[in-house]
Amino acid sequence: MSAGMEFVLLTFMGLPLLMVLLNNLLKKEIAQKICLSLGIIAGIVQMAAAVFVFASLKAAGQTEADFSQFWDLGVGASRFSVDFFSLLVLFCIGMVITAGFLTAGKTLGDKKFNFTNLAMILLLGMNGIALVTDLFSLYVFLEITGVASFVMISLNKEGDGIEGAFKYLVMSAIATVFILGGLAFLFMQSGSLQYGDVAAALSDWQYAEQPALLIAGFVLVLVGFSIKSGVMPFHGWLPDAYQSAPAAVSVILGGIVTKMAGVYALLRLTADIFVNVPVFNQILMLLAIVSIVLGAVAAITQTDFKRILAYSSISQIGYILLGASCGSAVGLIGAMLHFFNHATFKTTLFVNSAAVEIATGTTEIEKLGGLQEKMPVTGVSSILAFLSTAGIPPLAGFWSKLLIIIAAWQTGNVFIAGLALFASIFTAAYFLRLQRCVFFGPAVEGLEDTKEVTGGVCLSSLALSAITVGFGLLFPALLLFLQGQGLI
Amino acid sequence: MNVLSIAILTAALLLIVTGLYMLVRTYNMIRIIIAVEVAMKAITLLLAYAGWLNGQTALSQAFVVTIIVMEVVVAVVAAGLAISSFRKNGDVDIRRLNKLNG
Amino acid sequence: MTTFIIVLCLVVMVGFAISAAMLRSMLKSAVSLAAMSAALAVILYMMGAIWAALFELSVCVGLITVVFISAISLTTPDRRDEAHAADHRRRFAALPFILIALGAAIIAVLVYTGFSLPLPGEEAVAEATFNQVFWQTRQADILGQILMLLAGAFAVVVLFKEGKKI
Repeated sequence: MSAGMEFVLLTFMGLPLLMVLLNNLLKKEIAQKICLSLGIIAGIVQMAAAVFVFASLKAAGQTEADFSQFWDLGVGASRFSVDFFSLLVLFCIGMVITAGFLTAGKTLGDKKFNFTNLAMILLLGMNGIALVTDLFSLYVFLEITGVASFVMISLNKEGDGIEGAFKYLVMSAIATVFILGGLAFLFMQSGSLQYGDVAAALSDWQYAEQPALLIAGFVLVLVGFSIKSGVMPFHGWLPDAYQSAPAAVSVILGGIVTKMAGVYALLRLTADIFVNVPVFNQILMLLAIVSIVLGAVAAITQTDFKRILAYSSISQIGYILLGASCGSAVGLIGAMLHFFNHATFKTTLFVNSAAVEIATGTTEIEKLGGLQEKMPVTGVSSILAFLSTAGIPPLAGFWSKLLIIIAAWQTGNVFIAGLALFASIFTAAYFLRLQRCVFFGPAVEGLEDTKEVTGGVCLSSLALSAITVGFGLLFPALLLFLQGQGLI
Repeated sequence: MNVLSIAILTAALLLIVTGLYMLVRTYNMIRIIIAVEVAMKAITLLLAYAGWLNGQTALSQAFVVTIIVMEVVVAVVAAGLAISSFRKNGDVDIRRLNKLNG
Repeated sequence: MTTFIIVLCLVVMVGFAISAAMLRSMLKSAVSLAAMSAALAVILYMMGAIWAALFELSVCVGLITVVFISAISLTTPDRRDEAHAADHRRRFAALPFILIALGAAIIAVLVYTGFSLPLPGEEAVAEATFNQVFWQTRQADILGQILMLLAGAFAVVVLFKEGKKI
């Protein structure tokens, strides 16, 4: 590993920490002015670093690289490690954080300073989740991400924010109890919580001394992470948290946080740890299909812009998990790409909801209407994002959904694959309703002098739309590349 | 028959059930936090016991110490939310927190 | 002897958990939680987890109780109406019966299936001390603890300090 790459790897945890220090050491007046640029720099550098590390790994012919943050570690230590999937995820995190900070300029007033501190801690927590190779360290960073998001949701200290934050806190505490209980049972048998060691202990779990303990272990872990990712029977807190958060916070929260805390962890578990436990995949597939269908159905009945997006997230998270639960390379790649696509288009939509909130002061769709002419950028980027969500070719969302449905088909569960395909129509339905209520039709009284939001918000929705369209057009090339690598 | 393993597993399960029962049957935000703490005690017990069983006492101690630090910060944040809610509404009853639903 | 002390402490823990749930006074609930932590610290000590016992005793019995008592004194008015007390009793009346039934059921199942987890022999116990393991292999957790404390500090700034201006 070259010295340059070693340094770049350290920036994933080092740079946000440096930004926190800078933000607090500078004079308060200066910090108030530049704090948002600190966050934007951290986000952009992280995207660049992820691309750089990907290129260096590719050039060196490696698939992963271990590193330690402070001092050299002993044998069996909990190290940080990057592979291609965690690099993709780190890139997503950088992208969403940048979009969140671009949105924050217009919406947070004098809360910017605290927002920057907390968002940087949140960034560190999410990077940690992407980098760790030990289940216990994963829990530690989950908890950091959680605490930073509770405080960010209640940043405005309005009643709704406190309510959303407290519900999230309680659900997340229950999830923690389940996850840690499961980890304790796994730890009893494996003697270590490194991904590799747990996978080895589970490889012949039927012949373990007490298989009941291992079963209890992985069921508890699965339930815990399902609560964290807001999969359908465990989704109660998610729409509340998204709706009550300040606009910039819900961009970050909806774009990436819950996906990191729940979905990424579940993908890691299926890909790295529970490879030899088919039951795990079957339960996951059931949960996935339930939340795909019920999430889409629930989204149709909602009347708040952000709440529709929240239920749509639940449904899309279902697609990601469906891909992961197939247990094949195609499914896993589809899930990873859908993870990236979902981060892109859901962030676009949350940025759009923030733009609508800034321009009109509300996100209730019944009070909105006819904004297409007043806010052309927001309207068009929202259409692009929702077409991508619904899986309309040639946008990015189509390709990843296609891979996931093919993978589900290949497992022999034709019914589930058909249901997933059918739910796409619901996706189109609730987004058409949203689009018609908010952007099309005649202007509603009182909104005649609405203007397009300028600056960071506009910039980030343009950039994210460009990624959605560009990625969609480049996708066939990516598929050919993956086929050349023998992955699908 | 091993009295110790049966006693510890039973006690841990009972503690978790007590915590969860308390969590769903109470309306007071602070009592909810206490309920979470009761369940977390069971988790600490299970992890320490796991380390004792597989001979990795040192590793399980490292886990328990980290969990305790995490627990404290979560409790402080939750208490902060309860106090903010009290300043806003005049009490800590979660039945007042019902503006969001659907 | 070890077995006897641990089982005794477990009984104490479950007892105080029930009292934390059933007592109407919040202050008594918080103190019950502290007593649970103290019993847990004894169990940890008996299991040879000395550092963990120390942390449990100082942080969970001390610090968390202080946090709870301050939060309770800041938020709960001292009201003693009978209706409220009866309501509380009614909601938690089922708890002891549920726990007794569940406990008996679990013990019956475990005894019936001959469940047993033997302790390792002397030679199977890892030699490494807590210091070695914590500092040499848990670097990610240490970084995580630092970040968590930072997050807690910012949380206090947001949730407590600014509230006073309102």
